[in-house]
Amino acid sequence: MAGLHIDKINKSYGPARVLADIDLSIVDGEFVVLVGPSGCGKSTLLRMIAGLDAPTSGDIFIGNRLVNALAPAERKIAMVFQSYALYPHMDVRKNMTFGLKFTGVEPSERERRVAEAARMLRLEDLLGRYPRDLSGGQRQRVAIGRAIVREPDVFLFDEPLSNLDAALRVSTRVEIARLHRLLGATMVYVTHDQIEAMTLADRIVVMNQGQIEQVGKPLELYYTPANLFVAGFIGSPAMNFFPAEVESIEGDKVRAKGPTIARVTLPAGSLTRGSKLTIGVRPEHLTAGAPGDFSTTGAVELVERLGEASYAHVRRADDKLMVAEIRGRDTPAPGQTVTFSAPAEDVHVFDEAGRRL
Amino acid sequence: MLNQPARSLGVHIILIAYSALALGPILLVVMNSFKARNAIFGAPLAPPNATTFSLVGYAKVFKASLIGTYFANSLIVTLVSMFLVLLFGAMAAWALTEYKFRGSTALALFLSIGIMVPIRLGSVAILKMMRAAGLNDTLTALILVYVAQGLPMSIFILSEFVQQIPKDLRDAARCDGVPETRIFFEVIAPLLRPAIATVAVFTIVPIWNDLWFPLILTSSDSTHTITLGVQQFLGQYITDWNSVLAALSMAILPVVAIYVIFSRQLISGLTAGAVK
Amino acid sequence: MRGSFAKRTMAEPLSQVVASMPRGRFLALMALFLGPAVAIYTLFSIYPLIATMALSTYTTDSSGAYQFVGLVNFVTLLTDAVWSKPFWNAAWNNLVFFAVHMLVQNPIGIALAGLLSLPGLKLKSLYRTVIFLPTMLSVVIVGFSWNLILSPLWGVAEGALKAVGLGSWFAPWLGLPSTALVTLALISVWQFVGIPMMLIYAALLNIPDELIDAARVDGLGHFRIFWHIKLPLVLPTIGLVSILTFVGNFNAFDLIYTVKGALAGPNFASDILGTFFYRTFFGFQLQLGNPTMGAAVATVMFFIILAGVCLYLFIVQRRLRRYAF
Ligand SMILES: Nc1ncnc2c1ncn2[C@@H]1O[C@H](COP(=O)(O)OP(=O)(O)OP(=O)(O)O)[C@@H](O)[C@H]1O
Ligand SMILES: [Mg+2]
Repeated sequence: MAGLHIDKINKSYGPARVLADIDLSIVDGEFVVLVGPSGCGKSTLLRMIAGLDAPTSGDIFIGNRLVNALAPAERKIAMVFQSYALYPHMDVRKNMTFGLKFTGVEPSERERRVAEAARMLRLEDLLGRYPRDLSGGQRQRVAIGRAIVREPDVFLFDEPLSNLDAALRVSTRVEIARLHRLLGATMVYVTHDQIEAMTLADRIVVMNQGQIEQVGKPLELYYTPANLFVAGFIGSPAMNFFPAEVESIEGDKVRAKGPTIARVTLPAGSLTRGSKLTIGVRPEHLTAGAPGDFSTTGAVELVERLGEASYAHVRRADDKLMVAEIRGRDTPAPGQTVTFSAPAEDVHVFDEAGRRL
Repeated sequence: MLNQPARSLGVHIILIAYSALALGPILLVVMNSFKARNAIFGAPLAPPNATTFSLVGYAKVFKASLIGTYFANSLIVTLVSMFLVLLFGAMAAWALTEYKFRGSTALALFLSIGIMVPIRLGSVAILKMMRAAGLNDTLTALILVYVAQGLPMSIFILSEFVQQIPKDLRDAARCDGVPETRIFFEVIAPLLRPAIATVAVFTIVPIWNDLWFPLILTSSDSTHTITLGVQQFLGQYITDWNSVLAALSMAILPVVAIYVIFSRQLISGLTAGAVK
Repeated sequence: MRGSFAKRTMAEPLSQVVASMPRGRFLALMALFLGPAVAIYTLFSIYPLIATMALSTYTTDSSGAYQFVGLVNFVTLLTDAVWSKPFWNAAWNNLVFFAVHMLVQNPIGIALAGLLSLPGLKLKSLYRTVIFLPTMLSVVIVGFSWNLILSPLWGVAEGALKAVGLGSWFAPWLGLPSTALVTLALISVWQFVGIPMMLIYAALLNIPDELIDAARVDGLGHFRIFWHIKLPLVLPTIGLVSILTFVGNFNAFDLIYTVKGALAGPNFASDILGTFFYRTFFGFQLQLGNPTMGAAVATVMFFIILAGVCLYLFIVQRRLRRYAF
C-alpha cells in the first residue's frame, strides 16, 4: 500500500501546454476524484501516473519511490478504462490472468487471485465467457477484476462508469465504494459525474485548463469554494452570480449593491468603498418572498417541475437569467415578479480576481 | 415516377442480366468440359446428359501434364507468400503506427511507393539477381518476389485496421506488464484477423493468378504454377477441345469453390467498415 | 470510447513505455518489427527498379560486356524507326486499352454499385458475389475462355447473336486488326468490373443515411439522389478507381499474351507496352532478347505510370478531397 506524490508536473504537446505545474499529494488509502471540464487534462494526468505517457517535466512518487523512469507494470498500479479495454479474444478468466503471466505470478497464485476477485465481484459464473457475450455492467466488473488481481498499490479509474446506463451507474458506484473499503487501496478516479465525485471521494481535485483550482473534501468544495470556477463547477444547477460593488462599511457590516441586488449584509474584510465583487448564491438557497440578508427581484420566465423540487428561471434586472430551486407544490406562475432572498451564511462573495473572500 | 414494384422489378432484371453475363462464360466452359467432343460442338449450350457425359478431357490433362505438381506449386507459393505478407506486413504496420520515431514517416512513404509502382518493371534486374543467387527456376524466387510485391499494399491495408483497434487495449496491456513484442503477437495480431480477407483480395489473389513471374523466373515443368502450367498446356493442345476445356475448368473450379466458401468474408473485407 | 479514441489518433508523441526503454532495446524492437518487411521490399522491389533504370543506360557489345551509353537507348527507342514505330504503336494501343476501361468498365461499375446500394434491394449479396466472381479468376483462364467462346469454330457467340436476330453482326473479332484490341479490352472489362463496383459500393454505403433521408424529405427521387448527392460524394473513390485502372492497364500483359501470344497479333494490332517490353527483353522468333533495351522500355513505362500517379495525387485527389467526409 502506498500514497502518491506528484511534484511540479508539466505536460506539453508541442506548443500546447496541457498540464501546468501540478502538485498533488495523496495519502495511502485515500480515494481522490479528479473533476473538471472536458479537455482540462484529467486523463493526461492519470496516464502519467500510470506511466503510459511521459511528463515533460516533474516527478511522480508512488509510496516514496520515484517512478518517473519505470514502466507501468513496475509502478504497482492498475488502470480501469472507460472503454473497459477487455481483450476481445480472451475469455474472462484469461483477461484477468493474462497480465499476471508477465509479472512472475505463479499459476496457483493466479488462480487464487482470480477466484477471489470473481467472488468479490460476483463474476464466478462468467469466467468462461468472452467479452462480447457480457453486458456493459458485467464488462466493467471484469475490467475492475482485472485491476484487482494485480494487487496494485494504486488504482486508477478513467471515467469507468460513463458508458453505463443510469441505474447501473448507481449500483456500480456503490460497488466501487464497497471495494475501496474492502481493499483499502489508494484510488484515483476521474469522472464527469458530480454525484459520483461527491459520494465516492475522500477528497476532490477540481481541475481547469491544466491547473488545479482547488483540492478539498466534497462538502468543503460545496460550502466554501475557493474561487468562482469551483463555485460554478460544483453544484447543479450551477450557482447564480451577481456583480456588485461595496456601497458602505459600518463596523463589521458591509453593504454591497449591484444592478440586481436590493440589499446584502456581509462581515467586513479588507474591503473598501467602491470595491468590485461577485456575489454567488446557489439556486437551492434562494427562497421566494421571505426577507433575508441578500435579496433580488426578477420576473419568472419558466418553471421546470421535477417532482421533488421545481426550478424557476428568473429574468433579472440586468437581463441575465438566474435559477431558483423551489420546494413544495406552490410555484410562481410565469410572468409573475418575485423577490428571492438568502441568509448571509449561504452567500458567497468573491473579489475582483474571482477569489473567495 | 414508376411505382415501387415495377421499379424494383426493373432493377432485378438488369442485375440478373448482368449476373448472367458474368456467370455465363464460366458455366459454359465448365459445362462443356464434361461432354464428349461432338456434343461440345453439336449443342454447346446444353448441359451434359447421360449420353454426352465424358471425362476424356480430364484424363488427357492428367496424363499429358503435371497438373498436380502445378497445383501444389501454386499452393505452396501462395500460402507461404500469404503467410509472410501477413506476418511481416502486420509487424511493419504496427510499428509504423505505434512507434513514431525520427524517419518513421519517411519510411512509411518509402514503403508506399510499391503500392502504385508495379514490381514487374524491375523484372530485368530481378532475373539477373535470381540467376546470380542461384535461385533461378525455384519457388523460393517466386515467393521472395511476391512477398516484396504484396507488402506495400498489405502494410497500407493493415495500418488502417491497426488504427481501428482501440488504443486503450494497448495501454491496458502495458499496465498489465505485457512486453512490447507480446503486445503485438498476443493482443494486436489476433485482432487483425478480419483484415486477412481484404489483404487476400488485393495481394493473394493476384499471386495465385500471376503469369508474368512464373513465365520469366521458372523454366522447368516441375516449378510451373497452375496459371503458367495451364497456359502452356493450352498453347500445346489448342486443337484438343476436350483437354482445353478440362484444363480451364480445373483451374477455375478450386478458385470458385474457395471463393464461394469465403465470399462473405472477402466481400465484407472489401467493403470494410461499411457493411450494412 | 469513440471520443477518447478520436483524440488519440492525433500525432502522438512517444509513450512513456518507449521513452523509458533503453535506446538499444528500442532499436532492436524496431529492427524486429520493420526489418523483414523493409529488407525484402528493398531487395526485391526497390533495388530491381533502380537497377533496371541503371541498366537502361548501358548497352551490350558483341562480346556481351556492358558499356555505359547514357541516354542513347532512350533516343533509339523514341527516334529510330525500328524501335519507335512499335513503341508508339504499343503506347497508342495502351491508351486505347485504358480508354475502353474508363469509358465502359467504370461507368458500368458505378451503375451496378448504384443499383446494389438501393435501399431494401433483395438478393444483393448474391448479385455482388456473382458479379465479382470473374475478378477472382486468372487472366489466363478468362482470356482463353473468351477466346473459345468468340471462336467461329465453336460458334457459341455466333449462335447467341443469331438467337436474338443479330447473326449478321458476328465477326471473328479477336482475329481482325480493326477489332482485336477493343475486344481484348472488353474481355478485361468483363473480368474486372467487380473492382470499381465493390469500391464504389463500399463508398456509397459510407454515406450517412441521414443525408439520404434529408434528400428524400426534400422530395428527390432515387435517381436524382444518386446523381446529385451520392455521386459527388463518391468522386474521391472514382478517382482512386481511375488511378488503379491506369496503373493496371499500363502494366497489363497476361491477357494479350494469353490470347494473342507475344507477337500481339494480328500484325501487332493488340500490342501494348507490357507485351512490347516482354518481346524486347526476351526476344521473339528471330530477334534476340535485349536486356538493356528492355530495361529502357521498363523505365519509360515506369515514368508513364509515375506521371499518372503524380497527376492523381497532386491534382485529382487534392481537388476531390474537399468532398470527403
Ligand atoms: N496526443 C495528444 N496530442 C496533442 N494534444 C493532446 C493529446 N492528447 C491530449 N491532448 C490535449 O490535452 C488536453 C487534455 O486532454 P485530456 O484527455 O487529458 O482531457 P480530459 O480532461 O481527460 O477530458 P475528457 O473529460 O474529455 O476526457 C486536451 O486539450 C487534448 O486536446
Ligand atoms: Mg479523459
